[in-house]
Amino acid sequence: MARLEARGPPTVQVTQEEVRRLCEFLYRRTGMSFADNKRYYVDRRLAERIVVTKSESFQSYFAILRSDVGHEIEHLVNAFTVNETYFYREEHQLRCMTSNLLDNVIRAKKPGESIRIWSIPCSTGEEPYSIAIWLMENWRQVDNYNIEIVGSDIDTRALKAAASGVYGDRALARLSGDVIARYFQKVENNSYRIDPGLRDSIQFTRVNLIDASEMALYHNFDIVFCRNVLIYFDDSSRRIAAENLYDCLHPGGYICLGHSETMSRISPLFLVCRFSDAIVYQRPEAGRDRE
Amino acid sequence: MPLIKRDAVTAPAAGDRPDGVASHIAALSGSDAQARWSAARALRGRADATPALAAALRIEQEPHVREAIMTAIMRVGDEASVAVLLPYIRSQDAGERAAAIEALQALPEAILPFLPELFSDSDSDVRVLATELARNVPAADATRVLYALLEQEQHANVCAAAIDVLAEVGTRDAIPVLKACAERFAGTPFVPFAVSIAIARIPDN
Repeated sequence: MARLEARGPPTVQVTQEEVRRLCEFLYRRTGMSFADNKRYYVDRRLAERIVVTKSESFQSYFAILRSDVGHEIEHLVNAFTVNETYFYREEHQLRCMTSNLLDNVIRAKKPGESIRIWSIPCSTGEEPYSIAIWLMENWRQVDNYNIEIVGSDIDTRALKAAASGVYGDRALARLSGDVIARYFQKVENNSYRIDPGLRDSIQFTRVNLIDASEMALYHNFDIVFCRNVLIYFDDSSRRIAAENLYDCLHPGGYICLGHSETMSRISPLFLVCRFSDAIVYQRPEAGRDRE
Repeated sequence: MPLIKRDAVTAPAAGDRPDGVASHIAALSGSDAQARWSAARALRGRADATPALAAALRIEQEPHVREAIMTAIMRVGDEASVAVLLPYIRSQDAGERAAAIEALQALPEAILPFLPELFSDSDSDVRVLATELARNVPAADATRVLYALLEQEQHANVCAAAIDVLAEVGTRDAIPVLKACAERFAGTPFVPFAVSIAIARIPDN
């Protein structure tokens, strides 16, 4: 029996078996796995959620969690994931894009044609801007094609922030000084504004990933970055989202998920593609379904 | 700069535009897989299309279209849609079994009346899979139906599957039947072990 303590709140008794029960739920739900040696990490987050939900015991908290009262699953997952977004997050996928994905995408295109890339959800814009910067810094063919990058999110406040393109220095921590100098301008204390030309070249739109009628307006993307959102959905919504994404992709197009997500748990619609830098998922080419 | 900005949004292709239910149902049996896929997606959640979707599922060969049909039926979410999906948990195709289980798990209220019959099925594999369908059912209901299963189940693997579900969703009401099950399968060590885990995890109230 352990005594969980969050900041300031009353303590709650939780047994090791109860922690394992929570971890199994989390694993089944999200694929995130926490071994016994992560007990302290789990305890801290569990304690915080028990306190925030005003649960009197683990049992009452687990009942809230299973019933998803007040979107508690989302809150718990948030507590276990790094929510802070930043430039070049999960850089290995960006590397995969320029090392592998785009080579395959341009096989079916002539120079001058468009390559469409979608960041959904794009939150406050770090991801679509990262894609743009990465391409300009790392892809030799970048001048041979018209590259369209779209960032979409359901949160209009996040989209407004994305369109303004101003970021704190923490968001830029993974960028080199040279890259910052090329694409940002320091505006005030620890704040940077992204290059206006770059900012204006990316379109931001509001869309709900599980709304088929909204998603039906988006077509022919070659690459979709859809990271760290499907884990928040229930089974039914995940299937809908997967089908919507399938329709948005060009046949042969790729989808990149977050590191704790796998499309094979979500939908059998896609092919699994293992590259040296990342595992991504592909809508089968026309006339070639899953094998 | 090689980046260009165009309207991200384009009008749906003609075949995607909203249309009548009847035309979508007709498209389900057409020769164009993309049209069948679009029709299935358009009929999602339409209870009046369940019979047509069920008929299409019986003959559809394209895996991604089958997936869309299953989702369409799942989104109806009533007992009639459960009845359509249930036979597929007997499929010889593991992917199809998994898809059916996943779809049915999303319908905990509608699946509940079907569980007793599934737990009495002569095929132990079906009984094992059926225990997974209880995982999303409310705790008291899941405990009740799994209790009834464990009382009379003779197959150790089925018991183990039920115990695993009870370890996550069970209430204290399950303790007596779990203990009885452990005694009944004392010669099959993994069952008493699973029971001990489940009892340790089931909360006190």
